[in-house]
Amino acid sequence: MEREELIRKWLDNELNPKELQLFKELDDYADLIRISESVQKFKPTSFDTDLELDKLKNTIAHKNQKRNWLKPLSAIAAAIVVLFGVYYSFLLQETEVSTLASQKQEVILPDNSNVSLNSLSSLSYNEKDWDQQREVKLQGEAFFKVEKGTTFNVKTKTGLVTVIGTQFIVKDRDELFEVICYEGAVRVDHNGQSIVLKQGDRYIKMAGTIASQTKTKRQSPSWISNTSTFKSLPYSAVIAEFERQYDIKIIAKDINSKQLFTGSFIHNDIDIALKSITLPLNLEYTRTNRMITLKGE
Amino acid sequence: MSKNLHKNICEETLYSNFFKKYADDLHSFLYYKFGDHLNPKDKVQEAFIKVWENCKNITPEKAKNYLFTVGNNLMLNEVKHQKVVLKFQQEKPKSHTNENPEFLMEEHEYSQKLQKAIASLTEAQRVAFLLNRIEGKKHKEIALLLDISTKAVEKRIYGALKKLKEQIHEL
Repeated sequence: MEREELIRKWLDNELNPKELQLFKELDDYADLIRISESVQKFKPTSFDTDLELDKLKNTIAHKNQKRNWLKPLSAIAAAIVVLFGVYYSFLLQETEVSTLASQKQEVILPDNSNVSLNSLSSLSYNEKDWDQQREVKLQGEAFFKVEKGTTFNVKTKTGLVTVIGTQFIVKDRDELFEVICYEGAVRVDHNGQSIVLKQGDRYIKMAGTIASQTKTKRQSPSWISNTSTFKSLPYSAVIAEFERQYDIKIIAKDINSKQLFTGSFIHNDIDIALKSITLPLNLEYTRTNRMITLKGE
Repeated sequence: MSKNLHKNICEETLYSNFFKKYADDLHSFLYYKFGDHLNPKDKVQEAFIKVWENCKNITPEKAKNYLFTVGNNLMLNEVKHQKVVLKFQQEKPKSHTNENPEFLMEEHEYSQKLQKAIASLTEAQRVAFLLNRIEGKKHKEIALLLDISTKAVEKRIYGALKKLKEQIHEL
């Protein structure tokens, strides 16, 4: 038998006794055996299958645990999404602030712009869209201190006032539409006309008269400091303002309500206030509970 | 083992059995191929974790090949064709030895020569030869494990032995 064949058989443990004898007679038999035996020293440190399996199972269990965290987490995430949805759908509704008679209120808008609402007025705006569009709807009268930023619109029944970073009032009462700019500039869109008001400009439109522009020297409207001031305004507007500030009913007898009045009244003392609006016109007044009757002499 | 009844190896006992059957072999394979400095035991763990993570896509028939390929790749990611030097266990000094120091020294020198010789084998030769000599595996078993023919295994082992003998004589 071939020498190589013998060695191959030996390597595969396939030698029969006779072949084994032949193999042992090979001249390099001792060398081969020595290599085969010495090579045993290179056996790796024993591999403990059970131990390694336990280790593996631990790792996998740990990984699965980590994965299981995802379930409660996704539930929480879903809940948050729903909450946000509800929250935003509420935001879609407009925020509305309104004042009663003889009440004033300050409103801080989302961009920190400040609005002072005079009595019997209401202001509404959309908090959600505020970043895209600064727009408020106004009924009545308000003083605005607008923060710098994009275009700021005040919509009233009568006209649209557009501003950029400024202080102004808008007054839209029954027969009177008045805009006074105290700082910066505003644009008034009214009756298809567009007028720009600068600091100190006053825009006024009364029922039955032509819109006109005058000047003011004031820094802020007087009602902010609890005084109502009138400059060449019909007496009916004075009476209406008085009613709003004191939440009272005024009956005017034999009085020309169209005559113009220049003057003021304060908001915290009804007697002094009554005198302020009656004495200049030589009017008499009688007062019963929530009713005041004015009479010409 | 009802191998063909299972579509994949996600079932726990099946997976455990798979581990028991091949973990040791994979370890030997990686050890002999790449040496011990790349932590073959860790690679065995990693390879089996990969198998578990992908168990849905692995049929029982393909699992072994997948496992060995993954194990091999994990090693290749780290190895930069360093020379594989297998550590040999130092002879424990026997308490009652009548072997003389000269013999012990000669023995140690021989081990060192053998170590160098093993390092000079090709990966294929070394894996086949050591699986055969140290793990006592038959040629047919090695052929199955490495997915090669029995003839190729014989050739590798015989080639390895021949080379070792020559190298030791030269050194």
